[in-house]
Amino acid sequence: MQSTRFKRQTLALFFIVSLVPALVVAAIWYVDTQLGDTNSLIVDIHSFILPVFLIGVVPALLLSFAFAELLARPVRRLHAAVQRLAQGNYQKLDIPNSSGEFGEIAVALDQVATQLSQTISAAASETALIESERNKLRGVLNSMTDGVFALDRDGRIILFNKAASELTGRSIAEVAGQLAEKVMPFRQGGELVMTRWLATEAGPDQKIGHWRNLELYRANGESLYVDVQAILLPQDPNGISALVTFHDLTKTQQLEEMKIDFVALAAHELRTPLTEVKGYLDLLAHEATRLSKADREFLNRAIDGANQLGELMNNLLNVARIEHGELNYHPGHLDYLDFIQENSRVYELLVTGKDRQFELKIPANLPTITADDSGLREVISNLILNAIAHTAPQTGKVTLQVKRHRDEIETSVIDNGTGIPSSAIPHLFTKFYRVEEMKAATRGTGLGLYISRSIIEAHGGHIWAESEEGKGSTFTFRIPVRALVTQANVTDNTTKITRGAHGWIKNNPLH
Amino acid sequence: MAGLRTILFIEDDKPISEMYTRTLERNGYVVDFAYNGAEGIQKANQKHYDLILLDIMMPEKSGIEVLQDLRGEDGLGHPDTKIIILTNLAQDKTSQEALKSQADGYIIKADIVPSQLVEIIGNLR
Repeated sequence: MQSTRFKRQTLALFFIVSLVPALVVAAIWYVDTQLGDTNSLIVDIHSFILPVFLIGVVPALLLSFAFAELLARPVRRLHAAVQRLAQGNYQKLDIPNSSGEFGEIAVALDQVATQLSQTISAAASETALIESERNKLRGVLNSMTDGVFALDRDGRIILFNKAASELTGRSIAEVAGQLAEKVMPFRQGGELVMTRWLATEAGPDQKIGHWRNLELYRANGESLYVDVQAILLPQDPNGISALVTFHDLTKTQQLEEMKIDFVALAAHELRTPLTEVKGYLDLLAHEATRLSKADREFLNRAIDGANQLGELMNNLLNVARIEHGELNYHPGHLDYLDFIQENSRVYELLVTGKDRQFELKIPANLPTITADDSGLREVISNLILNAIAHTAPQTGKVTLQVKRHRDEIETSVIDNGTGIPSSAIPHLFTKFYRVEEMKAATRGTGLGLYISRSIIEAHGGHIWAESEEGKGSTFTFRIPVRALVTQANVTDNTTKITRGAHGWIKNNPLH
Repeated sequence: MAGLRTILFIEDDKPISEMYTRTLERNGYVVDFAYNGAEGIQKANQKHYDLILLDIMMPEKSGIEVLQDLRGEDGLGHPDTKIIILTNLAQDKTSQEALKSQADGYIIKADIVPSQLVEIIGNLR
């Protein structure tokens, strides 16, 4: 369309321009034939020159200029557009009033520009994406509390995160390009285990190595103990041959200790108000004379709650002590048969008081063992209280059974209660573990069995559970007759220091 | 009551000492108070008591210092007086062992109620 218009315009211009000299020649010839006189002709010709020039040459010149301009303008515009393109302005060229061939060129050029612009903006957004991913990765690496560094094919450090820098006391500039075995020499018994593994395991496959408790010297010469993980990346396109992360164990231990201190402190500080709550409730229970039956019931519930709270605090404190390795054990010579018979009266009252049947099965004789009587009393109490909690009144039965098993004494608490799902059994003796299905029925803290295990293990013994759902559970512990404690640590029980769970009185039974 | 009748209660927390004293007095004991360690030592040395109930965390002098003063080498010894530590402070194994040579008992307050304390004291001999 544009192309035809352009042709028409051009043809018209040529026609006009070529017509002008033809008209001039025709005019001269006409004048010459009319006059015939040379002189007059010359004079006449002279008199004709100006008009002819004016009529013929001036429009021709003007038209030429116009024509040239007509040709030049789109070329100039194209030139400007190409220059804009060259300068990197890939937006739509917007060449105005383009027609004909120039129009076609402009359109083509415009398409090129649009395509370029699209390609370039796609590339730009990809670059932005890469940049933002890189920033994210850098953020993640630097916010990690574990040290991370990467090695190139020669084993030189090419990436080192903030935690790595803080843990080792070395700046990124200090380690960049350095051999890992020089600046990050993780050692186990003096051996450079990690770098040696990297060298020997290097191959076409990706591999992961773990090391526990490796020693690393900080820049100031102090030792740092860390868990290390290294990944061999043979196919990495960025030239990373291995990625290493290390976890500071000292920090973990400090955190762990802080937590324990807090628990111990909390348990201690909470005891004072609890003393008053329990004490004044006790005064009320003993002194109040005009309490209704309901009042008495409320009071008893408050006392139960306060006692449970006290038990929880003591358990928490015990756990804190277990983890500090400070649980108070005082092993002494213990006549186990005597011990069981003496305490079974308390257990029997505990069980029958809750309307369950109690049975004691003991052999005729048992050797004297070396043990902490209050610790064992606590374990058996825990097991019996658990058995009561998981049996029903009237039908429930709790059996305390003791027998000799080779060089060990075996004590079991057997019940005919709800039993424990087999999936829960492996977790029973871990801290704060409570069987999901039983949470509603019981009000335990999830600490009793954990503490029991700790006490039995302190005696060099072991404890376990067997159960069948709907039929009941058996908890058993065995402790060696010859205890592991040395004779020097053994107090002679003839001085008769009676210890309760959390106190002692000389020459006097506390319970 | 086996002759045990007079008690010195060394405890800085009044609500707690009043709480125990009320029950002790209702059961026939005669109770005197000291509200800090220094006062406790002074009273213990002025008059004979059958029993001293001793807190540990106190101003002026701690219960441990009181125990050293009363039972240590320079102290009077008070052989006819029983001393029971009554505290909420959980001593570690070593500290408790050290106390055994000088004290007659160690009770965590939060683990007992006044009526149980009366029972424990009634069983002392």
